[in-house]
Amino acid sequence: MRRVAVTGLGVVAPLGACTDDLFTNLTAGRSGIRTLAAEPLRSLRSPIGAPVEFDGSRHFAAAKLRMLDRVSQFALVASARALTDARLDLSAEPRERCGVSVGTGMGGAGTTDEGYHTIYAERSDRVKPYTVLASMTNAAASWIGIDYGICGPNLTYSTACSSSAVAVGEAARSIWSGDVDVMVAGGTEAPLTYGVLRAWEAMRTIATADPHDPSASCRPFAQTRSGLVLGEGAAFLILEEWNRAVARGAHIHAELTGYGLTTDAGHITRPSVEGQAGAMRAALASARLSPGDIDYVNAHGTATLQNDSVETAAIKEVFGERAYRIPVSSTKSMHGHLLGAAGALEFLIAIASLERRVVPPTMHLDIPDPACDLDYVAGGARGGVALRAVMSNSFAFGGTNAVLIAETADPDRRRHGATPR
Amino acid sequence: MSTLETLQDILIEEFDLKRDQVTPGAELAALGVDSLDMLELMFKIEDRYKLAIRDDIPTTLTTVNDVVVYIDGLLARQGARGPDPADLHAPT
Repeated sequence: MRRVAVTGLGVVAPLGACTDDLFTNLTAGRSGIRTLAAEPLRSLRSPIGAPVEFDGSRHFAAAKLRMLDRVSQFALVASARALTDARLDLSAEPRERCGVSVGTGMGGAGTTDEGYHTIYAERSDRVKPYTVLASMTNAAASWIGIDYGICGPNLTYSTACSSSAVAVGEAARSIWSGDVDVMVAGGTEAPLTYGVLRAWEAMRTIATADPHDPSASCRPFAQTRSGLVLGEGAAFLILEEWNRAVARGAHIHAELTGYGLTTDAGHITRPSVEGQAGAMRAALASARLSPGDIDYVNAHGTATLQNDSVETAAIKEVFGERAYRIPVSSTKSMHGHLLGAAGALEFLIAIASLERRVVPPTMHLDIPDPACDLDYVAGGARGGVALRAVMSNSFAFGGTNAVLIAETADPDRRRHGATPR
Repeated sequence: MSTLETLQDILIEEFDLKRDQVTPGAELAALGVDSLDMLELMFKIEDRYKLAIRDDIPTTLTTVNDVVVYIDGLLARQGARGPDPADLHAPT
């Protein structure tokens, strides 16, 4: 049975340019959410977001930069960091045995926004020649493939907020099945542009800015929660077939052992307890674990009215009485909702928790919603926890539910990961 | 500043080139300027000279000097009186 080792982690995220910084900030309860003061964003009803301090010109030459939307810039830098962390030289690998798997919800939305501004606002026909190539949804994945000469599968998954959990899960599946040996897998999103933010605002799902402390505007599981806060960034993982990772002496952060996928097929936005619970059960079955084996759940926890109570009910349905004894936290309270990058980022955070034996908190959970009565690790991180298996939930508009499970790197694990489903 | 010097500055700035690479005889393709880059280059030239360049850029522009001659031609026709509507829509 083939197993999947996670050998590299890389981020471009609010609160961190590396996994260590990100995790340190999260466990300190720091929030990357702030007021978006620039024009024209400040005119938004709720001008808040979790931006990344990132200057593309520090990473790319001008001639290349003009071909890259911010979403691809994030992806290229985060995947490079993951490869560096994995100490993996892809040029020495059989090119067809390596692949790229990327999740993004909106692709090069900033480029699209700019193009429409040129056409409709400036009433000009001078749309930039690279508009199509920069905005197409698969641009980020394509550039990673080009930069490293990766000639196996190059796939982009777009299932809204579960996009990159699907991308990572499908990447693992392609290693389990034997199709490939190495996957660069992750997610990227750059939604903090005026057009995108206005569209989200119109849907009435964005949190009201806290007038006293904008950084505390995202309040998952709280009675005072008022919606999500958008963030930007990318997170990538290097997945490798276990034996080859061991053979080359790679540091193995964790083993990816479970992936569950279901679809609500109900309402376009309203989540379903059955769909979410089904994905968690499928992930457990894939990992050959029982509910009693999970030590931490990184929740989807968007802080929308709908999600948090439904997710709580789904966790109770899967874990029964044990649900009350498993730490469940939403780190979105600090890094915001990265949409298509959220699943990969939060799975990466769950792996960091596993390695460091520290559970990051849910912040700003002052008054719990009576319908949300689990152990959300409110207000502060919890250290010294025995963690062997962690679960990361990702749910989405459109109804694609994806759940990932990682376990500590154990060379002798007899269960041996998942059967290809 | 001559047309050549202006074009050289744009190429150096936008395409990460060195001054000794952008000689009049240098071929654009060899400098890494492909067909999409040419469109981008024409935008910069339009902005710099307040010119209006119609969509079909001649495919015969091979060298840096070819572009200089092309710009000087446009300037001769449009420069003094602004963009000529004929240059916006009709083939040259």
